Amino acid sequence: MITTSRLRPLLLVALPAAFLFIFFVLPNAFLLAASFLKSDAQMLTDERTLENYGFLFGRPLYRAALLRTFVIGGLVGALVVVLAYPMAFFLARTTSRWKGPLIALALAPLLASVVVRTYGWWVLLNREGALNDLLRALGLTTGPLVMLPSVGAIVVGLTHSLLPFGVLTILSALNGINPNLERAALSLGASRTRTFLNVTLPLSAGGVAGGFLLAFALAISAYATPTILGGPATETMATLIYKFMVSLMDWSIGSALGTILILSSMALIAIGTMLGARRATV
Amino acid sequence: MRTRNIPWAMLRGTVVLLYLFILVPIVITVSVSFNAVNQSKFPPLGFSLRWWADAMSARWLQPLAFSIELGLVAAVLSMLLGMPLAFALVRHRFPGRDALTTLALGPLALPALVTGIGLLQFIHAAGLGFLFGFPTLLIGHVLICLPFSVRTTAISLRAMPPNLELAALSLGATPSTVLREITLPLVKSGVFAGGVFAFIHSFTDYSISLFLSRPGTQPITITILSFLEYGFAPTLAAVAALTLVVPLVLIAIVQRVFRIGDFLYAENARG
Repeated sequence: MITTSRLRPLLLVALPAAFLFIFFVLPNAFLLAASFLKSDAQMLTDERTLENYGFLFGRPLYRAALLRTFVIGGLVGALVVVLAYPMAFFLARTTSRWKGPLIALALAPLLASVVVRTYGWWVLLNREGALNDLLRALGLTTGPLVMLPSVGAIVVGLTHSLLPFGVLTILSALNGINPNLERAALSLGASRTRTFLNVTLPLSAGGVAGGFLLAFALAISAYATPTILGGPATETMATLIYKFMVSLMDWSIGSALGTILILSSMALIAIGTMLGARRATV
Repeated sequence: MRTRNIPWAMLRGTVVLLYLFILVPIVITVSVSFNAVNQSKFPPLGFSLRWWADAMSARWLQPLAFSIELGLVAAVLSMLLGMPLAFALVRHRFPGRDALTTLALGPLALPALVTGIGLLQFIHAAGLGFLFGFPTLLIGHVLICLPFSVRTTAISLRAMPPNLELAALSLGATPSTVLREITLPLVKSGVFAGGVFAFIHSFTDYSISLFLSRPGTQPITITILSFLEYGFAPTLAAVAALTLVVPLVLIAIVQRVFRIGDFLYAENARG
């Protein structure tokens, strides 16, 4: 039912569009503006400056944190697609009558907040944790291995939290492949491995790219996991934002960090669109 | 394509390991809450329910109730805003439609943590400081819920056979009757599913609340996060497990009304 009335869409969107403009567009614009303003005595001033960015990119400590955040993002993105692919492939191809419940189970962790999911990793990995107990019981180590805080633990925790997103993205790409293409390759004498490598994998590449970039974007802005599994030596952009906004009350630096995060997310979305990941649409 | 051979068996083995990877940390969190000692040990040392008794105190139940209240109000408001928006985006062609589509999904595409600090500064600068507390949190949560409600409503609008409405119109029904008798009943389950997703998203979120909550108006995720600084007591594991119960019960209730699995599946088939 496509109506030709010009007034109706306007009436329908007026309120939600106004809400989004006031509480989403304006605050983000304000954040961008604040990142170019000087802070003095914990207050934003009117003085324009590039110092906030100079400060972040100039000091080795903060440069290292920015770099660390992107390394974590890249590693998590890669691990998520590597682990999500076999799972999505299995779920797309299985003829089991448990297919529905299995898909639900793979996505069930989304019902638990990241705090719940990360707590378990802390219990496993800490000095007196389950993994150290196990290693000692097996006689593999004498003293406890120090696995926390570390970048490795953050990567494992985030991979675990973001895996369902990878499964969803790749599963939808695999479901979109015309099964006749695989049948054709097989009937023309290609082996199953060759069919997978030459037909299925390239056709699902958009989903892989999409899953990688989604996990990357969510990983670089994660706060809870780096807080629980990391420490002062593993600061990331999100933990730095908290430090500057709440502990140091320096909103200029906090806004500059936020702007870098937003621009990174937008860049990732743009790369995804170029690589053929489907554009987000309603 | 039926594939029952050695590679398939290997794949199945890998998938079993992956399910373990997904579920074990959650199982650990839950089982730690039954420790008899005041240590987060796995496997638990002894068995007791004392940490669950601790978790049932007002200190934890108050933020839990707050999270439920916030999630419910945010889900309802986001549906009220999202439904007309989805209608316009699916059913009408108008200038700025693409921009509005991007904007409607924006809160999901950009980091919620940063949206939170943007809102914090904006409300501060606009002199709306009296809004801090529940109103500001609500604004933030409606924002992050909106993409879910717009999306699910749009999906059910597209899934609807378009001729039903035309048939009703040609039989003499007025447009408002068509909306009330045909369109709304048909998109009802989609709208409801959107509301459930929105609630769960709000309930499990911490990013948008991190900078917007104040003492007394704190969602449970933020309360847990701030207590983690003092250590990992089994009480926290019990509280964390308790927060798992809410979405699970909700999904179980909703399953009786309609099959949300179908919906999730339909959604991911679309991408």
